[in-house]
Amino acid sequence: MPRITVDGSELEVREGRTILQALDDLGLLMNGIEIPHYCWHPKLSIDGSCRLCQVEIEGIPKLQIACNTPVKDGMVVRTQTERVKRAREGVMELLLVNHPLDCPICDQAGECKLQDYAYDYGVPHSRSKEPRRAAKKRVDLGPGVVFDQERCILCRRCTRFCREVPGTGELGVFQRGDRSVIETFPGSPLDNPYSMNVTDLCPVGALTTKDFRFKIRVWFLEDVHGVCTGCSNGCNIYQSVANNRVYRYLPRRNDSVNQTWICDVGRMSYKEIGSESRLKHAYVRSASGGLEVSTYADGISAASARLRRLVESKGPGVIAAVASAHATNEDLYTLRRLLEALGTEAAGLAVPLGDHDALLVKAEKAPNAAGARALGFADANGLVDRIRGGGVDGLVVMGHDLLDPAYVGEPAALSHLDTVIVLDTHRSEMERVAHVVLPVRHAAEKSGTLTNHDGRVQRVDPAVEPAWEAYADGEVLARLGASLGLEGFEQKWDVRAVSRQLAAQIPAFAGKDLGSVGDLGKRLADAGR
Amino acid sequence: MVISADVRARIDLEIAKYPKRSGALLPALHLIQQELGHISPETAKEVAEIFGTSPVEVMEVVTFYNMFYDRPQGRHHVYVCTNLPCSLRGARGLLRELEKHLGVGPGETTSDGRITLGHEECLGACAYAPMMRIDGRYHEDLDVDEAKRIVDALR
Amino acid sequence: MLKVPYVTNYLSEHFAEDAYATLEGYERRGGYGAARKAITKMTPDQVVDTIKASGLQGRGGAGFPTGLKWSFMPKTTDKPKYLACNADESEPGSFKDRILLERAPHKLLEGILIAAWATGSQTTFVYCRGEYAFPGAQVARAIDEAYAKGYLGKRIMGSSFSHDVVLMLGAGAYIAGEETGLLESLEGKMAKPRKKPPFPAEYGAFGMPTTVNNVETFCHVPHIISSGAEWFKGFGTEKSPGTTIFGVSGHVVRPGLYELPLGTRLDEIVFEHAGGLSAGRKVKGVIPGGMSMPILPAGQLDVPMANEFLRDRKTMLGTGGIMVMDDTTCMVRVGWVITYFFRDESCGQCTQCREGTGWMHKIFERIERGAGSREDLEILLDVAAKMEGQTICAFADAAAWPVQGLLRHFREDFETHVAHGKCPFPQSFEL
Repeated sequence: MPRITVDGSELEVREGRTILQALDDLGLLMNGIEIPHYCWHPKLSIDGSCRLCQVEIEGIPKLQIACNTPVKDGMVVRTQTERVKRAREGVMELLLVNHPLDCPICDQAGECKLQDYAYDYGVPHSRSKEPRRAAKKRVDLGPGVVFDQERCILCRRCTRFCREVPGTGELGVFQRGDRSVIETFPGSPLDNPYSMNVTDLCPVGALTTKDFRFKIRVWFLEDVHGVCTGCSNGCNIYQSVANNRVYRYLPRRNDSVNQTWICDVGRMSYKEIGSESRLKHAYVRSASGGLEVSTYADGISAASARLRRLVESKGPGVIAAVASAHATNEDLYTLRRLLEALGTEAAGLAVPLGDHDALLVKAEKAPNAAGARALGFADANGLVDRIRGGGVDGLVVMGHDLLDPAYVGEPAALSHLDTVIVLDTHRSEMERVAHVVLPVRHAAEKSGTLTNHDGRVQRVDPAVEPAWEAYADGEVLARLGASLGLEGFEQKWDVRAVSRQLAAQIPAFAGKDLGSVGDLGKRLADAGR
Repeated sequence: MVISADVRARIDLEIAKYPKRSGALLPALHLIQQELGHISPETAKEVAEIFGTSPVEVMEVVTFYNMFYDRPQGRHHVYVCTNLPCSLRGARGLLRELEKHLGVGPGETTSDGRITLGHEECLGACAYAPMMRIDGRYHEDLDVDEAKRIVDALR
Repeated sequence: MLKVPYVTNYLSEHFAEDAYATLEGYERRGGYGAARKAITKMTPDQVVDTIKASGLQGRGGAGFPTGLKWSFMPKTTDKPKYLACNADESEPGSFKDRILLERAPHKLLEGILIAAWATGSQTTFVYCRGEYAFPGAQVARAIDEAYAKGYLGKRIMGSSFSHDVVLMLGAGAYIAGEETGLLESLEGKMAKPRKKPPFPAEYGAFGMPTTVNNVETFCHVPHIISSGAEWFKGFGTEKSPGTTIFGVSGHVVRPGLYELPLGTRLDEIVFEHAGGLSAGRKVKGVIPGGMSMPILPAGQLDVPMANEFLRDRKTMLGTGGIMVMDDTTCMVRVGWVITYFFRDESCGQCTQCREGTGWMHKIFERIERGAGSREDLEILLDVAAKMEGQTICAFADAAAWPVQGLLRHFREDFETHVAHGKCPFPQSFEL
């Protein structure tokens, strides 16, 4: 392995990498070794045109761009010399010659690499008295993206992304020189399942999402690490929070899961957290037949009373549960313990399916199907047959995926059941047949782990608090267990303790509890390769 | 199909000369323009199909080069070189005279669609300045009257 | 004006004969004899060594040693090897390649053939600027003639050596004359120069090993092979052997082409050969090597036209395009025209070039309008310094140097412009 020296520190790097790649491999780039750059991106082809990443290399008279210089054993690199500083000043000053002074109205302000680098590496004032280039502003580039041609610094990350990642190539650079502009072909907008990634890639406010436009200034936002719940890929995200509200998702880099990307559907799925259709009350079906708002405690009592009645009259075998792939490993482990304590094995997992692609999007449209299966839940098809056949009288249902056409299809199929207890984040048609409905927390509102399609166990932590009474599914099930007087549910449900317990009980999860999986997750022991 | 079968056949002959199809793109655009005058979005789509590339990439090429046009042009292109050696010998004054003579502004087309008048950078005729390029021909060692005569003779 | 060179030498001595442009006329004057000698009597290595020994430098502006460039081509590879002939001549002030294409296309083909033999290349792409319709047609006809005679195609001159030549016309972009910009354009893309590494000998046309040479460079080759490296070194200077075809334009009595040995003094070319300044005026400045090269003032024209001497005057030979400016000339206007060109022709990739060329021209516009200040002159020099040596290709340097040259030698023109708020040279050429 070649050894290079950067600013006096000797580093062992991988053969065949460029300086920027090597530093990125080591996690040092912009994190100990500062080489500002625009056009380079770890997941795109090398461009070499912004010229900001120039560094001094001993033995080479001209400055070299770090993004395109392969490492060589013994190479000595200097990133903070006077020459390098002057070169950076030069690039920054020249970029600001035509860039419009839009900061006061630009969404990117506060997370703008032009602002950041101008501040860190630029000159204190602009000497240009010349009129700036006039170009198109507020271009409706596609369903998700709005484009300001004047702000563009022509780093070409967006054009390279569209060609190299989704392969749709909607963007090009038309004309040449200082008249160069990013354009689409007439009639072919920027419209692919990953289109909004260009807004993350764009170092400036040229490409921004329509969704986030003018919503809030980013310096009010706190970015909480999380995991997208749109499908079983489990893309890592930042949840941008202010005022106890998630304003947007941004992809968080995880080279083993989603690189630096997220699909548009996943990116927009933050809306389900604050959706109007959130379940905000507990409901109990009254004697007269209508669902009535209840306190949470009364809801649990009503649920446990019904279950107890069934167990006493027909035995626990008539009780079944439908697990949700939206629930965490800790929630599902608690369900498993509850069923064991009740004395029934009837359970199934309902997972909605949809389209998938070769990139990130998976067919299973929930984040924890693999976790559910690893915890022993088989697909709910068998259970559905039992339900139709009349072998189930009491059903504890997590979520409403049971209503998917692949399973029961419609609530009427459950109307013959004596007891239906629903735990859900959102309102649904399950309310037609439910006897008790209890609100539970979204993955953005609780701690826990989710296992993605690849067997990677990833943690979530609360980004926001619901404005109503709601608990993690596991906590609700534990309270149900306690209410039923079942053994093992005496203690208050603590997700960390449950997670450790789960990891201790199930060999595949050893070392993969909430406290151990870290920021980027860890794969189940039997996940295979 | 906007591109004629004849031009298509000639494009195929060009494609055969290169190790990759794309090598024939510039020759193809020249051939197409000779027939159609400019590259419209519809034309660009057909070109993209012929070369297995995208309409965006075709338009990148069209808008990059001076000799490809993405909008209709006059029947004749009259370009006066205004680079340094030619400017030293009065080329810019000559161009302004032609603009007045034809009643157009810089880069504009006469109202009858006959002539698009503009300037070009060095055409490799520096010792024969001032000069102009009309379609495929050079007209060198000009004075204003000669230039007007040549332009008037264009149909 | 005379279209053929006023002064000829081995390259252009037969240019007055129209038939020299035909295969028959060319062969009558000994044409293709060198190619025959190379292919049938010399090994490829011997040819490369001869060119190396001759000291021939590229005539496209960079002056890179040709033999050395040929030796960069890999000897053993299963990839096809290509040559590219840079016939994109677009450097303002240069019109020498044009005359070679028009009047000696077979000399070009012969040089290509010898280079192909020397480097083991299977195809040469002649990239000719799109505006050169007639020169391109001359080359096209010559190619057809050569194929018909068996000097191109399979089993050339009875040997087992095969070679193809493909002519492609460009479409109007100065930057397509940059080596890797040319390769991009050849591949049907925008002529945006490539990052280096990799270099063309490793990854060139269509990804294959390629050597790119200028038209005139190829044209010297048959003469060197015919008459030998020592013969060639008899022309020019020790470090810059051979002749070149200088193009003289601007305010001279006899603008035109002059084939002279490298090292001929600039003042000799301007005052003796080109007849001195026209209209009885005095010289103010001369750009010696095409518009990218810094200008020389009247007092510094006693310089031999070869890089080893021109470098001391902070300029270079470039393409030998000599532009003469008399004392009516406003150097600010000259700068206006120069910076307009570079702004227009920048491909736009590199920050410094894209924004720097635009900024510089806008400053010239403002100075010309009468709204300039002395600070602008410092900004021009500073921007030029920020553009130099830091971009993908040398275009940014070529855009910076002329501005530096003008301010180095003609600062007074600028200061007067700025102080008076208008051009102080009423007789200067019109903008």
